[in-house]
Amino acid sequence: MSRRWGYVGLTAVLAVVVAVWAVPEVMRHGYFGRYVGASRPGVDPPLPSLSPDLFLFPQAAQIVLLAVGVGLLVQIYSTAYLGRHPRYRSYALVIVLFLLGMIAVVGTTNLWVLLVGWEVMGLCSYLLIGHEWETAPARTGAAKAFLVTRVADLGLVMAIIVIGETYGTYDIVGAQVAQADGTRHATLIGLLVLVAVIGKSAQFPLHTWLPDAMPGPTPITALIHAATMVAAGVYLASRLFFLYADSQLVLTLMAGGAAVTMLMGALFALTSSDLKRALAWSTVSQLALMLAAVAAGGAEAGLDHLVSHGVFKALLFLGCGCVMLAVGSSALSAMGGLRRSMPVTFWTMTIGFAALAGLVPTAGFFTKDSVLHAIEVATDGDHGLAPGVARALLVVALVTTFVTAAYATRLWVLTFLGPVGADRADRADHEVREQPPAMTGPLVVLAVATFALSVGQPLHLGTGLLSTAVAGAGVATVLLLARRGSALDRSPAPLTSELWLDRPFSRWVPAAAAPLARGVVDLDRDAVDVYPRGGAALVAVVSRGLGLAQTRNVQRYATVLAVGVVVIVVVGVVLR
Amino acid sequence: MSLLYPLLLSSALFGIGVYGVLARRNAVLVLLGVELMLNSVTLNLVAFDAWFADALHTGQVLTLFTIALAAAEIGLGLAIVLALFRAVRTVDVDEVGR
Repeated sequence: MSRRWGYVGLTAVLAVVVAVWAVPEVMRHGYFGRYVGASRPGVDPPLPSLSPDLFLFPQAAQIVLLAVGVGLLVQIYSTAYLGRHPRYRSYALVIVLFLLGMIAVVGTTNLWVLLVGWEVMGLCSYLLIGHEWETAPARTGAAKAFLVTRVADLGLVMAIIVIGETYGTYDIVGAQVAQADGTRHATLIGLLVLVAVIGKSAQFPLHTWLPDAMPGPTPITALIHAATMVAAGVYLASRLFFLYADSQLVLTLMAGGAAVTMLMGALFALTSSDLKRALAWSTVSQLALMLAAVAAGGAEAGLDHLVSHGVFKALLFLGCGCVMLAVGSSALSAMGGLRRSMPVTFWTMTIGFAALAGLVPTAGFFTKDSVLHAIEVATDGDHGLAPGVARALLVVALVTTFVTAAYATRLWVLTFLGPVGADRADRADHEVREQPPAMTGPLVVLAVATFALSVGQPLHLGTGLLSTAVAGAGVATVLLLARRGSALDRSPAPLTSELWLDRPFSRWVPAAAAPLARGVVDLDRDAVDVYPRGGAALVAVVSRGLGLAQTRNVQRYATVLAVGVVVIVVVGVVLR
Repeated sequence: MSLLYPLLLSSALFGIGVYGVLARRNAVLVLLGVELMLNSVTLNLVAFDAWFADALHTGQVLTLFTIALAAAEIGLGLAIVLALFRAVRTVDVDEVGR
């Protein structure tokens, strides 16, 4: 017990250190003139360095505080959720490493340090998703997450190299200074950054790893999907936005991908039969919304939504963990009627769902409003994005708002209200009860934060009223359907099987890669391994020859010695 | 007297001693070989002492020391061989080493 709280203490120390560093930066807005570092751009790119170059851009402070805050709550939550696990130590320490990776991504201006943090997070997410590696889904899910995000890593590495070659610096601020003379290679850099972001933040067409990462422990899902891993992609997109803001092609691609992803994710969430998977799809959809804001030129709105989404999605996932532990399954068919038996989880998750649906006065409403406003502003065509594209994006975003409200309400009804699901026959109702305070406490904290974050958020009346109307319509539709008794867990086959979009990754890519991998194995065995094996065989022959001299007969050794002396004397004295 | 004769004798003794140490299987005879080598060296000492006509007769003095040491050494060596024989009922060095 105390050992587990030791890890919480470690995370708390990290959180305090970060807080001391980041809290004074939260309210700052400008940063030119107060940063002198390795930012002076040169003609040739400098050698890659790993000097930390700690620096918090505006809004990065909020993200890093969010990351350590959610990380701390996840640690507290895990003491109760996973406390009896035999590998708890590695689990808890990898979480801390994960947070360090996120801090490295967000808190530096050095692109190589950012890359290191980015890779550390990829590795840690692999380890944590596969924490319960005794089960096959955990293994495959972890491997998939790792491999797909590797594509993103490739994009990031290439982007960093191109930035260095173009602007003569690997420093974000330095690139910003150099870019003031005019952007170069905007399309190339933008496309590479886009690859990185699409992979890391699970956007179409590389989105399928995120729902398949669900076999990981639920607190980890909350950490990855709320505050760290996927957030890094959006953060990168908005941080490097100035480098590709001129490129119509990149912005259009980004907006198009975001539009497809947000609607698709919301529809999959609407039709999922599994609470946790539905929340994962919801994350995909919400990330697309943030990227839409970035593409429309509203990077600040995107990051605001990132922070508020981080809070309420962590709340929802942690609540989902409570529910899963109570009913022993994450399938919606095993839930229902939990309102009375789990009051704290019910009320906090209600707040979370309200924020997800974008209802006043949660933080989710205000930041989603900012995103919609940013897209609406972009429809005038002055912000890089073509007016037509921006208009289409706005329409899709509003449709997504409707679907989002609908699926949030559906999940809420199916989990907490409604009749007890069919698959809970093995557990009597009195066994389903509220979780201990170590698990409900973080929920309450996050629920309070969901409201607290809406303080001081800008309000745009037009889009606010519109989105409230749309979201209200979504909520009302589902509630009416539920009232009329129609089954909420029935949906068309293409949607429940998620449009077979996973097929390229689950079938075609492995089918194409298997012969290649076999070829590499053959090459390694027949061409590369020859040298070490040959060396070993040579040494064996030589040592066998030398071994003949080792007879265990002292007199023979002495004879060799005497002959040696004679030879030395003859050579050294007589023949001299 | 020529130095050659004692040196030849000493070399022959030393060679026989080396042969005894390297080739003999009997531990007592191995010790005997060691003793032969030691004595060839003492013979050298005496011969050179006479040859140099050293006023202090260092060689002869050293020879007396060596004889005393050799007596002690052979006593110790034979005691070890005796103990060995009591333990394993053989003084064959190959048999003992096995």
